Order: sequence, then C-alpha cells, then structure tokens
Amino acid sequence: MERIASSIIYVGTGVVITLELLLGGMCISIILGLLMSVLRYNGICRCFINAVISVIRGTPVILQLSFIYFTIPGLLGIKLTTIGAGVIAFGFNSSAYVAEILRAGIESIPKGQFEAARTLEIPTSHMWRDIILPQVVRNILPAMMGEVIALLKETALIATIGGMDLMRRSQTLAAERFEYFMPLCIAGAYYYCLVLFIEFIGRKIERSEKYAKGV
Amino acid sequence: MLRVSNVCKQFNETVVLDNVSFSVEKSDILGLAGPSGGGKSTLLRCMQKLDTSDSGSIECNGRVGFMFQDFQLFPHMTVLENLIYAPTLKNKKLNHQKQARDMLKNLGIASKADTYPRHLSGGQKQRVALARSLMIKPDILLCDEPTSGLDVATTTDVVTLLESVCEMGVTMVIASHDLDFLTKISDRIILLNGGKIVVDIRPQELDDAVDYLKKYY
Repeated sequence: MERIASSIIYVGTGVVITLELLLGGMCISIILGLLMSVLRYNGICRCFINAVISVIRGTPVILQLSFIYFTIPGLLGIKLTTIGAGVIAFGFNSSAYVAEILRAGIESIPKGQFEAARTLEIPTSHMWRDIILPQVVRNILPAMMGEVIALLKETALIATIGGMDLMRRSQTLAAERFEYFMPLCIAGAYYYCLVLFIEFIGRKIERSEKYAKGV
Repeated sequence: MLRVSNVCKQFNETVVLDNVSFSVEKSDILGLAGPSGGGKSTLLRCMQKLDTSDSGSIECNGRVGFMFQDFQLFPHMTVLENLIYAPTLKNKKLNHQKQARDMLKNLGIASKADTYPRHLSGGQKQRVALARSLMIKPDILLCDEPTSGLDVATTTDVVTLLESVCEMGVTMVIASHDLDFLTKISDRIILLNGGKIVVDIRPQELDDAVDYLKKYY
C-alpha cells in the first residue's frame, strides 16, 4: 500500500510540468492562432500563413519538438530548456489547429451579420470586437475544448527530450521497479482526471449566461 | 432624394439589373415589385452599397438605413442593446436609451426591451429590425421583403408602422412580392422583371392595381 502511495506521489509531481506545458502551449497557440486567422484575410500574407499551417499539420509533433529542442539552439545560438522547447513546440503545433477552428468559426457567422454592422455604420474594429467575435467564441468553444484536451495529451511527448512530466515519471518508476502496470495506470488516471476537469470547465462555460447569450 | 441612373448588374452570365433608372422624391414610398429573381433585392443592395453595380450610378442624398429580410438582429444582444449599440458609438453623450425605449413603446414591444432576439416572434423581430434601422435616423429607408413570413394581421400592423415612418419624413423603398401590401402602402410601384423596369405606376390612379401588376409577372 505504501509502495502505491509513494508511486502516486512520485508520478503526481509531474502534473506541475504537464500543466506548465499545457498552459504555456495554450497561450502561444491562442495568440499565434488568432494572428494567423486574422492575417489569412490579408492577400499578401495568406499564402505564407496557409503554407505554415499546412507544414505544421503535415508533420508529426514529435518531429517539431525534436527540431525545436535539438536544432534551434544551434541555429540561433540560444539555450532552450526542455520545458521552454516543449511550450514553443506544443504551442506552435496547436496554433495551426486553433487558426483552423477560428477560421471555421468566423465563416459560420452569417454574412448578414457583417452587412447589418455595415448598414448601421459600425466601425470595423467594433464590428469584430462586439458583434462577430462574441458569436465566434460561442460557436468554437466545443472545438477549442477538444483542442485543449488534445494538447494536454500531446504534452506527454516531452518525455522524449527528457522532461520530467507525468509520463516520464511513470516510465522512470517502471524502469526502476521492472513493473509497468501500476506506474502506467497511475499516469493514465492523472491524465484522465485532468481531461475530466477540462471538460467540466468547458461545460461550465457553455452553461454560463454570458456564453449562452451568443446563440 | 434618390436617383438611380442606368444601373446594370450581372452575376456571371445572368443579367440581374438591366439599365435601371428612376428617382424618388423626399417622403415618398416607392414599392419594388416583381417575381423572385427579378432584381429587387439586388437593386436595394446596390443602393445600400452592399453590392456594387457594374455600370450606372446611384445617388442618395442623406443617410441610408436598411432593413433585412431576415432581420439580422445581433443574437447576443438584447433588443435594447441592438437598438442603442450603433447610435452610442456615434454619440456617447445623447440619451439613446430613452429614445430606444420610446420607439419600442410606439411599436408596441416596450416589454421586450431586455429580451434576446431568439425569444421574439417573427412580427416582433420585424419591429425590432425596423426600430434599429430608424435609430440611426436615416433619410432613406430601404426595406427588403418586410412582410415575408408574416400573417395578415401583422402585415396590416407593418403597413401602419411604415406609414408612420413615412410621416416622420423618411423616404422609403420597399421591395416585396406581396402586391396587396405594396399597393396599400406605396405612392408609386416599379415592377422589375428580368432585371428591367416593365411597369411604373401610381397605384392610387388605377382601379385595381394588383390585377394590373399581375399581368406583367
């Protein structure tokens, strides 16, 4: 029993790293995703952004993570920690999907809403901020929650470059004890609880009055 | 007040407006009749600059308001917010709330001020859309199918409403396929078919304007 409890505590310490990767990655993915989806409406930037999104979506996350961790320091002469590389890689990868989700969200808004704003002489910046984006946020929330969950699970790849997250800790424990069942079950339980928590937050937001307004 | 001169518009190979010309005097109500695909909505959209004409010109003296066939109320805003949002951006000092509440009262939907559009009936949405387009104080109001989907009683209400708007000095152009409605409300009716003006009449001068117009469908 004591052995199980110590395993739970040891693997659980990795939750901090996993959450750091998740939150850092989310910040980068939302900012970059928003930027990419807006720049896509610019004729000059469109091709470049489309190419970037295509490459990100067309290559494995583990390759992107290895590329950033092993090649960028040499190319740019900077030092990256495993967490830093992970945050950049996961955020960068997720931004392509966020940009696609945002594009679909913007395209789901009826053309008439844009036209109504124009006929009422509402300036473009106000139209986006107060008319279009509140409706977009409501439409994309389920897809965005799905992306956050996917990002959480992808953070397990940090183990490949030595990050001591949930997954890596469970592997370390398994290697030490030559017993895989319990450490992997513990890591799985932690991941599952985190996913359930994200789903709970998503449902809370969906049910909130402020969110429900944008029907 | 409004002058449309030799306007042409084509979508790919389809001619939607073919050399359309007319003018509207201040405080007049012009009805645009015609079959579906006749060019009514496209003409209204060109007047509001939501579409551009391929050739010709449209001159409007004053601010133009537009009432959409499907209302296009902002779903995440209450009725009152829908009404005051645009005017408040223009002038923060004026008390738009009072003006909006007065307008809702006049339209018989004062109790709906804090309601979201999804909880309104078609007729109520129609009134809110009308009120919203009037809040920007237009000199010319363009209405696209204002009675579509409404029952007879609500259509009668819309006639009364639009007449009261006209009494406020607003010039109106109303596109509709409902000839009874148009003959009741319009000072003048233009019938568009195949993108061309085929009839230009004053309904009051005819015994049965509806029958007369039907011949040109």
